[in-house]
Amino acid sequence: MTDALEDCSSDFEGADVRLSLAGSDELAAQIRQGAKPDVYAAANTTLPEELNKEGLLSEPVEFATSELVIAVPRDSDVRQVADLGRRGMKLAIGSESVPIGSYTRELLSRLPGHQGDRILANVRSNEPDVKGIVGKLTQGAADAGFVYVTDVNAVSARLRAVKLPADLEPDVTYAAGVVKGAKRPHDARDFVRGLTDGRCADALARAGFEAP
Amino acid sequence: MRAFPALLALALAVALTFLTVPIVAIFVDSSPAELIDSLGEPGALDALWLSLRATAMALALILIVGTPAAYLLATRSFRAKPVVVTLVELPLVLPPAVAGIALLAAVGPSGILGGAVAAAGIELSLQTAGVVVALTFVASPFYVRQAMAAFAAVDRTLLDASRTLGASEARGFVRVMVPAALPGLTAGTALALGRALGEFGATLMFAGSFQGITQTVPLAIYAKLGTDFETALALSAVLVAISAAILLSVKLVHGREALGGAPG
Amino acid sequence: MLRVEAETRLGVLALDVALEVSRGECLALAGPSGAGKTSVLRVAAGLLRPERGRVDAGADTWLDTARGIDVPPEQRRCGYVFQEYALFPHLTAWQNVAYPLRGMPRRERRARSLGLLERFGMRELADARPQTLSGGERQRVALARVLARDPGVLLLDEPLSALDPRTRAGAARELAAVLREVEAPALFVTHDFAEAAQLGNRVGVIDAGRVIQEGTPSELAATPQSAFVADFTGAVVLTGMARSGADGLTSVKLDGGGEVTSTDHGEGPVAVSVYPWEIAIEPVTAALAPGSTQNHLSAEVLSVTRVGNRVRLGLAGPQTLAAEITGVAADELGLRAGARVTASWKASATRLVAI
Repeated sequence: MTDALEDCSSDFEGADVRLSLAGSDELAAQIRQGAKPDVYAAANTTLPEELNKEGLLSEPVEFATSELVIAVPRDSDVRQVADLGRRGMKLAIGSESVPIGSYTRELLSRLPGHQGDRILANVRSNEPDVKGIVGKLTQGAADAGFVYVTDVNAVSARLRAVKLPADLEPDVTYAAGVVKGAKRPHDARDFVRGLTDGRCADALARAGFEAP
Repeated sequence: MRAFPALLALALAVALTFLTVPIVAIFVDSSPAELIDSLGEPGALDALWLSLRATAMALALILIVGTPAAYLLATRSFRAKPVVVTLVELPLVLPPAVAGIALLAAVGPSGILGGAVAAAGIELSLQTAGVVVALTFVASPFYVRQAMAAFAAVDRTLLDASRTLGASEARGFVRVMVPAALPGLTAGTALALGRALGEFGATLMFAGSFQGITQTVPLAIYAKLGTDFETALALSAVLVAISAAILLSVKLVHGREALGGAPG
Repeated sequence: MLRVEAETRLGVLALDVALEVSRGECLALAGPSGAGKTSVLRVAAGLLRPERGRVDAGADTWLDTARGIDVPPEQRRCGYVFQEYALFPHLTAWQNVAYPLRGMPRRERRARSLGLLERFGMRELADARPQTLSGGERQRVALARVLARDPGVLLLDEPLSALDPRTRAGAARELAAVLREVEAPALFVTHDFAEAAQLGNRVGVIDAGRVIQEGTPSELAATPQSAFVADFTGAVVLTGMARSGADGLTSVKLDGGGEVTSTDHGEGPVAVSVYPWEIAIEPVTAALAPGSTQNHLSAEVLSVTRVGNRVRLGLAGPQTLAAEITGVAADELGLRAGARVTASWKASATRLVAI
């Protein structure tokens, strides 16, 4: 997402776009503490909706979807979700407060029997962002982790993705809105619109994100 | 020239305000009752206990290995000395992220010594041991540097006197040099302690973040930032209190001399 | 008996000495700064290893480079008093003194330590830290500490130079008493010849790493073997009792007879000193010419030593004196051993030091 947005933002007419990149929860915390960026985009719909309820964000607009995959080193023998429950498996996932972490836990809760618990018991690190998960995998510290498919694409030389059954897939939807009190609400609305219909929409599609 | 003293006072007032308001805010942003309540969260207590344990272990390593090393560097001259001193001080100026990368490249699972570490049956990545390694790496230069200065400042004739009075060099080191250098050693320990307690980047990259195993207080603060600001505040407050207590006790025990004031 | 032989390069200095000090004797090594005096002490103590050397203390060989023997300092039973005393700042006075005491319970260590401090009149300050003590008090603690070691050899580095002039007199007396009491051979080092003369039985003048001449203080003053020794062994020192005089001058009755006057103030036992070259010599038969000189002593010439274009005269008066005149004047006076002369010098050239 970062690369795609960086590419298309430089083409935005009407204003210079500055991207502040961090975990969705960290950005939400900043807005709650009074920070006023013009636009807020998150990797889930929950955080924007919460902010909207708190009166801090306009009605959020869904602009992209993605899917969760299992990322493993290229030479791993993991083929399916059940393999993650094996004894001795070391997993890195997102922490609960981060979208990737909550999506992961949502997925695991959909597994039959105690599979989800067994997999959770193999977790060795709750990373604050996807970069951290990918880092643990490329370093060989963890055997597998849950990330977005677009993140595996970025390091396809070292990692490969194990697709998940469609019925387990959580609804990974990115949403954005205009921050209340933004300095340039007009430009902000244009930017948000451009995420679904404009240069940024194209860039996102090229990066592997699907339309909502 | 009454204007000049007034300007000096103004500068101090600005500096003081800038430095103390954020710290005071930690305690004031939420009520004490809520802060204490948040500390009761299992994640919070685990983080505190882990931070204390890991810091204590790191500090023990630093003191045991760093003190004789600093003594050697302070009292002997050899050709490679400037290089050795620079190497010892290097982690001081490394950004924590770089320290994390360095540790991964060295003793991480894919690191140059990773195989040897694993063969020895030692697990660092994603383990408390890894946290201790990260803390030791970033905090040791803070101690070694102070210890070197402290030993170098001790009158060398004291050691000569000790030897002529019948004590071997080792005995002299323990009974004379270390006690004579104690204010500086204590200051160095305090600095290293502060650095280790606050260490974040290298720990996250090298050891990961897992409650009770690797999630130290700074990592817990970061994890709780978005969803549980109260607990983040509470943990921050505890760290501030501990750091203040450390600084204060060093000053009280060893006077102004220990932390850069004029000899008292 | 202490024997020290050392030959070594120290930076630009080439040290080459051979000394012997018998039991009960105190040898003073006197010389200018940089002469290598402290290095000799450090060799004796084992703190400095010379390229070639030998140190024997009684029946023990502490150093013999030829045979590869080098006993570490902690195993040499020597007491070394450092120039600034090197008291341990984190220990109290009694703890400092107790430092060398080993193999006995704490109570006994404290008792012994207090006993030594008592001997130096320092018992009340036993629990004081060195930083709170005066220079003289610190020197006494340093001496007590060294005696606690029960040393076979005493080494002292400028033992009085760290003290202010007023304390120095009392400290010198005390040190002299200690040196007399301790039978171990003592080697001490100073840049002040008068100090060497006062405390040492024999004095060795050292310069640029070599001992130029060795002998009793009066021998060196009377018969210097080189211009350097002549210049270095400056003042003649006489002893006497001082009393303030009517005209603002002090009059001193010399031990053994004779009286001199000084512009310095003094009362009681004093050391009177005057430089040999300030002393004018006249044949005793000549009538005393009027002039500003006020001190006259009658003396017999003991020795005549030529040093370049100068002549050092060893004189026997009520006490031993050394005078220095030009070679020309000596020839004119036809001075020889046995001749009687009058030694004269000004009251304003007469220095008094309380002893």
